Amino acid sequence: MNQARIGLLVAAALLATPGLAQAQGKPATGAAKPAEGDAPKEGGEDGGDKPPDSGGEEGPGICELDPSQCPQIDIPTVAKRPIQAQMYAVQQKYALRVRRVEVNPYWSFTLNDQFVSHPGPGLAINYYFSDVMAIGINGNLYNADFISKDWNFNRDSEFNAQTRRAARIGVPLTEYDWAASLNFTYVPMYGKFAGFNYFIFHYDAYVVGGIGALSNRPIAVIDPDNRSFKSKVHVAPNVGLGLRIFFNRWFAAILEVRDYIFLDSLENTTIPADPSAQKNEKNWYASESTLTNHVQAQIGLSIFLPFSFEYRLPK
Amino acid sequence: MTRRFFQGLLPFLGILALSMEASAQEIQVTGPLAGAPPVRQLRLHRKGRFELAPTVSFTLLDEYQRTILVGANLNYNITDWLGVGAWGGFGAAKLATGLTEKIQETNDLRFDPNRNPDYNKGNEEAGRRLTALNVGKDFKAQLGTINWVFAPEFTLVPFRGKLAIFEKLFVDTDFHFFVGPAFIGLIERAPCGSGTSIDCSAREDSPAGPGTGAVKTKPTESRVAIAPTVGLGFTFFAGSWTSFNVDWRALPFSWNTGGYDIRGKGDGERFPDNRVNDKDREFKFNQMISLSFSMYFPRGIKISD
Repeated sequence: MNQARIGLLVAAALLATPGLAQAQGKPATGAAKPAEGDAPKEGGEDGGDKPPDSGGEEGPGICELDPSQCPQIDIPTVAKRPIQAQMYAVQQKYALRVRRVEVNPYWSFTLNDQFVSHPGPGLAINYYFSDVMAIGINGNLYNADFISKDWNFNRDSEFNAQTRRAARIGVPLTEYDWAASLNFTYVPMYGKFAGFNYFIFHYDAYVVGGIGALSNRPIAVIDPDNRSFKSKVHVAPNVGLGLRIFFNRWFAAILEVRDYIFLDSLENTTIPADPSAQKNEKNWYASESTLTNHVQAQIGLSIFLPFSFEYRLPK
Repeated sequence: MTRRFFQGLLPFLGILALSMEASAQEIQVTGPLAGAPPVRQLRLHRKGRFELAPTVSFTLLDEYQRTILVGANLNYNITDWLGVGAWGGFGAAKLATGLTEKIQETNDLRFDPNRNPDYNKGNEEAGRRLTALNVGKDFKAQLGTINWVFAPEFTLVPFRGKLAIFEKLFVDTDFHFFVGPAFIGLIERAPCGSGTSIDCSAREDSPAGPGTGAVKTKPTESRVAIAPTVGLGFTFFAGSWTSFNVDWRALPFSWNTGGYDIRGKGDGERFPDNRVNDKDREFKFNQMISLSFSMYFPRGIKISD
């Protein structure tokens, strides 16, 4: 019940966010007064297409006033010379990340476990020491039953019971407690989208990887009468890809896919015949560890601190 | 205390999101570009062009069998943001999951007196009896299978932009949605039990006597399911008439993936009724990831004002 309420609150938060995401807002209609400094200088020094309006008769040109100063340039020849103009796809990055801290609360969903899903809240904190690289930490909480039994987010699919009943096959199941990692993030891609050709928003894509720990324990399925598993901590490197959509220069939405890789200790699918051996914890686990890829989607918000920043060069 | 903290944090995040003014790029709209469209000289990759895209799709989160569908997408893009067309594919490869292999292996052992030392024990005999209705000799043959899919659909392209990769490579991109009805050619376990002519638990003959051998492979039949299909994806335009696409698609409908009897009796019909029929179908979201390479015709590209 509590989880349903929490889920609704998360959904409300996520739904509310894009509702106001109107990067650039509504374009102003009509030409507003140009900002100071934006107006082209008289005389066309800024390369204006039209000559300055003198408001009446044109005066004598430089060639008439002083023929020695008259430029000796063959305009058609000069016009044909190759020009290596440097244009950037995105002229100025909308939101700089360098020397900023990113706080990223998120909710995770399991993508590759049809037997037990492991959703839960998470938090990542990253520090960008360059505009494209960051170091950070993140943590996931899958099971908070130390607070209340309702706060165990692991969900055993009904499909498991059906398989046990129909085929008399027990699939080893595992529930997760928490995970924590030290990560490096690299942002090789950034871009912008025009929405309905009406507004523009910016986004970037990143890769993330790190090393950490994941705590879990088997759910007793094969011999629940004798087996009661305690949590174990596993070393868990991770890799992932993410997409960040900026609503403004410090607030963004995040969609990330992360793969936590670890050697899992699953429940032993065989039960010793000897009753005393059945109670021996050594016989509860499978003899070999299983390489597990826990792939999860993380949907959340990203808040950059400090909120403001200054560009090194003017636009 | 901690619970209260979490419960307080989530609505706070919602309020935080609501209270933020989206003020991106205000500077531009109050400057000399006020009133100007966000994009000028936009390359219209889609408008007025046919799009042909060979696709390969991989189903996700399958319980018993993964399917790789090979097919094609044909669209006519009426505008740069709206297209109409169809996607079709056939199940070119069907790969059993680890669970299927395990069920097959266990069932083979269960009915093999030569390999199973416990064959004559009561537990094994009970296993043979209790699984006979649900698991046939060739378990893989009774699995629900997607044979083909045909989906007429609309494509909506609300977001169009560009992407810088390593600040060296620049590509036009778009983010699109698609929606439409889908017709799915399925193979499922045939109905059996009461009201049908098929015995759900029929067994083969063995030296020990007629009807004492392995459970016969369950018969199947085909049907066409109709379901909505929705999805979203990214397009990366490689040139003026080609693009690479990554799409996620959902095909939500009910089917019996394992060929089990799981429903039909008791409170809410949540218990097996010794029959296999449409009550044993379960609603699945049926997700897949598609990769495709699009070609646009005519090859010449238009550019907006």
